[in-house]
Amino acid sequence: MSVITAILLGLAMGAAFGFLLEKARVFEPAVILGQFQLRSFLMLRVFLAGVAAGLVVLAVMTGFGWAKLAPKALLPMADIAGGLALGVGIALAGACPGTVLAQIGSGYKDAWFTLAGGILGATAFTYAEPTLRPALQMAGQGRLTLDVVTGVPFWMLGLGFAAVLVVALVAMERWRPWREEIGQDHDGLMPPREATPPTRAVAAE
Amino acid sequence: MPRLTDKAWSPYVAGALIGLLQIPAFLFLGTALGASSSFVTVGATVAEFFDPGIRAIRYAAGHLDGAKNWWQVALVIGIAAGAFASSRLSGAVRRGVAPVWKRATGLSSGGRFVMAFFAGFLMLMGARIADGCTSGHGLSGMAQLSLGSFAAVAAMFAGGILTATLLFRPVR
Repeated sequence: MSVITAILLGLAMGAAFGFLLEKARVFEPAVILGQFQLRSFLMLRVFLAGVAAGLVVLAVMTGFGWAKLAPKALLPMADIAGGLALGVGIALAGACPGTVLAQIGSGYKDAWFTLAGGILGATAFTYAEPTLRPALQMAGQGRLTLDVVTGVPFWMLGLGFAAVLVVALVAMERWRPWREEIGQDHDGLMPPREATPPTRAVAAE
Repeated sequence: MPRLTDKAWSPYVAGALIGLLQIPAFLFLGTALGASSSFVTVGATVAEFFDPGIRAIRYAAGHLDGAKNWWQVALVIGIAAGAFASSRLSGAVRRGVAPVWKRATGLSSGGRFVMAFFAGFLMLMGARIADGCTSGHGLSGMAQLSLGSFAAVAAMFAGGILTATLLFRPVR
């Protein structure tokens, strides 16, 4: 595929991606913070639904031979150290590397600083990569996936795991409907808890 | 039926539709959805103006050219355009800094800008160390039942939960 075609395809797919991230409200900092404080589960709902659909898609596409999996290698050091730093960064940014662009599109100003910091961080890593490489590749296990490890065909495991996720999402919706987590301004922020004791007047914010 | 002018769609519908974007990714590019390596492509491209020697770094060279790298840069630019369109259609346009930051940290806008810059730096450092982010490891790696991605996602949630509970005030 030529670079121009790839760019046009990327723009079209990205526009759909960004549209859906905005409608799902998962780009809102309060939604990310609420998830990490275990007060709101909107992020998990979107995330698990996306994984479930991806599992079904890939089970079908690989089952019929239309696509080949492209998994990343299992690098225990890199996955855990990098994952931890990524999680801290996401909590402080209130965004993921993808949703920071949705924040910019919707109008948040601080997202431009997150983006600039991100580009600098990725560049700094590029310069550090030759030095870090031996540590990051330590105990590397190659492209291990659950189907390779268990010997069960991918489509079978994929559809099974997707079914488990759907059941979990149905249970989550019964426990607390998603609309209760959207908030008045659709930003995932709930009104502050009223101060106790109730005898004291609560100052309006 | 979700409408384009709605402010919020069911997270299950929106999430599942995002998952369907794996179809064109695998069909046309032979790769999965991802976002964070585009930051390397952009950063290394800018750095090359000042330091042509960056090409000697194999990692940089592997991110500078080619359809897949620039497809992902276009993808993240498209994300901004899509979110722009969606927020204008529904009237959920945002300004300044989200109110949650004042409540969680007490910082002014200026303080929040500084915090966001460092957060972005750390976020992309982490994503590149782990070789993937919420999209590449989360959406795509989990959908491929990749063991490395399960580990990275678990570590990501651990880091996020620790930070948000220890450093921030409760947001509601």
